[in-house]
Amino acid sequence: MSLFRAQGLVKRFGGLLAADHVDLAVEQGEIHALIGPNGAGKSTLVNLISGLLPADAGRIVLDGVDLTPLSAQQRVRHGLARCFQIASVFRSDSVRDNLLLAVQAQAGSSFRCLRRRESERALMDAAQALAERLALTEVLDRPAGVLPHGMQKRLDVALALAARPRLLLLDEPMAGMGPEDSRQMIELIESLRGEMAILLIEHDMDAVFQLAGRISVLVNGRVLTSGDAAHVRGHAEVQSVYLGTEVPA
Amino acid sequence: MANPVSDPSRATVQTAAAHPQPRLAVRFPGLVRRLPWLVLAVLALFPLLAPLGGLEYYVGFVRRLLIVAIAAASLNFILGYGGMAALGHAGFVGVGAYTVVALVDAGFSSAWLAWGAALLAAGLCAALIGAVSLRTRGVYFIMITLAFAQMLYYLAVSLRTYGGDDGYGLYTPLAMGAWLDGAHPDVFYWVVLGIAALVFAAFGRVAHSRFGYALRGIRDNETRMAALGYPVYRLKLAGFAAAGAVAGLAGGLLASHNAFVSPAIMHWTQSALLLVMVMLGGLGRRWGAPLGVALWLTLEEMLKLYTDYWHWPLGLLLLLVVFRAPQGLAALFERRDGHGGAR
Repeated sequence: MSLFRAQGLVKRFGGLLAADHVDLAVEQGEIHALIGPNGAGKSTLVNLISGLLPADAGRIVLDGVDLTPLSAQQRVRHGLARCFQIASVFRSDSVRDNLLLAVQAQAGSSFRCLRRRESERALMDAAQALAERLALTEVLDRPAGVLPHGMQKRLDVALALAARPRLLLLDEPMAGMGPEDSRQMIELIESLRGEMAILLIEHDMDAVFQLAGRISVLVNGRVLTSGDAAHVRGHAEVQSVYLGTEVPA
Repeated sequence: MANPVSDPSRATVQTAAAHPQPRLAVRFPGLVRRLPWLVLAVLALFPLLAPLGGLEYYVGFVRRLLIVAIAAASLNFILGYGGMAALGHAGFVGVGAYTVVALVDAGFSSAWLAWGAALLAAGLCAALIGAVSLRTRGVYFIMITLAFAQMLYYLAVSLRTYGGDDGYGLYTPLAMGAWLDGAHPDVFYWVVLGIAALVFAAFGRVAHSRFGYALRGIRDNETRMAALGYPVYRLKLAGFAAAGAVAGLAGGLLASHNAFVSPAIMHWTQSALLLVMVMLGGLGRRWGAPLGVALWLTLEEMLKLYTDYWHWPLGLLLLLVVFRAPQGLAALFERRDGHGGAR
């Protein structure tokens, strides 16, 4: 049985069908890429899966648990974490405070209001470990908003990893990055392989073919096809989509 | 297609200031660190020193100032730290004041009981109002909190038992306990000072706790907080209810201070005034509320001596602060490392 399964997800924005009965399965430990032209509904799908947008219809199951009725925050508790296309960090806080906030969400109650957070050794250690893993130790005291783009994206990934997810949703982790930052991000994603399943949305085809075991192609809110790299490369409709010819809906 | 969720511009209230310009704090770091203690000491001695300068009248004035500062601090907590732009905070002050009235009317005379009940009643009321209001955002949140506060206002107007529009006089002071009541004529002043000090210490503490950090995270990036797994709604509700409770405590104290309560105490202009004072002092800054309240009320008091048109200069002052020190007065006292004022 798949670790994660989305069945018949539907989302309408007025007359636009942004998700048209999407079925998607991600296996344990797999890196599964989701590709598709701009406006195909990739980000909408990530928002539906993570719970930031309510779906009009369909079901989401992670590890046998039906997540459909759960809110975004409850889904995190069940092992589903995400990153954002535009790095979503706390810009005026230091990198350390960013990491602490992410760690704190998973370790006990955030309603504690009398103990100084600085005195909680376990939180500090966990944030430090996260910084080391993502090569952010050098910038711990700098405000996240002034970091270079690549580092902000890495911090965004760090925030998601703090939840120790079983399924990680990466919404265009390489978007807007130079070759050096991209290479680092690919290495980082590679290092996560096996530890958790990853649903990777990405435009950088080299990265996709390098990382993903399976690839699903989303066009006009529908999954056109799913398969390994060779299957997708050889798929006639996929080729026409990426060459710019409209696929008959 | 625009992504409606990850757009950072959706963060409701922008962080007050990422990089304040800490002028005073750089020049006199030691003084600024000790300033709160110094101020506390001066305030504690004030009733003893005031008669020497013929300033007895101002003991009552400072007492009112402290009470208003408690209410403003609770507003600063939800607005400055929590990003919840509530325009109905005077409503909770009023609930506290009318709780005291109700208890006195029913024959109770213990101050501690009355003030404690004021705190609880306003906290409960804020929890109920917050449970509805916090489902909305931005302008809608402002309007719905205003609407609830106006409902409370008209409820008070309609309560004939408690004087309706005319208000209700508390002719005998509430009893604070045998050893306090007879000790000194100004004992109520010290009680208020003690409560204010406790409230400020508590808010300072909470700001650096898990809860405080979580609230600021929600203010800065609510979507990210939800995606990190935070129970955003419940956290906001807890902050809103706590702030309402403290505002209610201030209302209870204000009832004792004035020995009189009327619906005017919870008119929406009072909520707006609290907002103005907090912004003047520094939104989301530890000492923002007391600084704003002290400056506003002191100027009002002084200007009233000279002119009936005291709103004019106060309005000009507000413009000056908005343009010259948009982060409020408290920003001038802070150190760059951010530990000076809990941001």
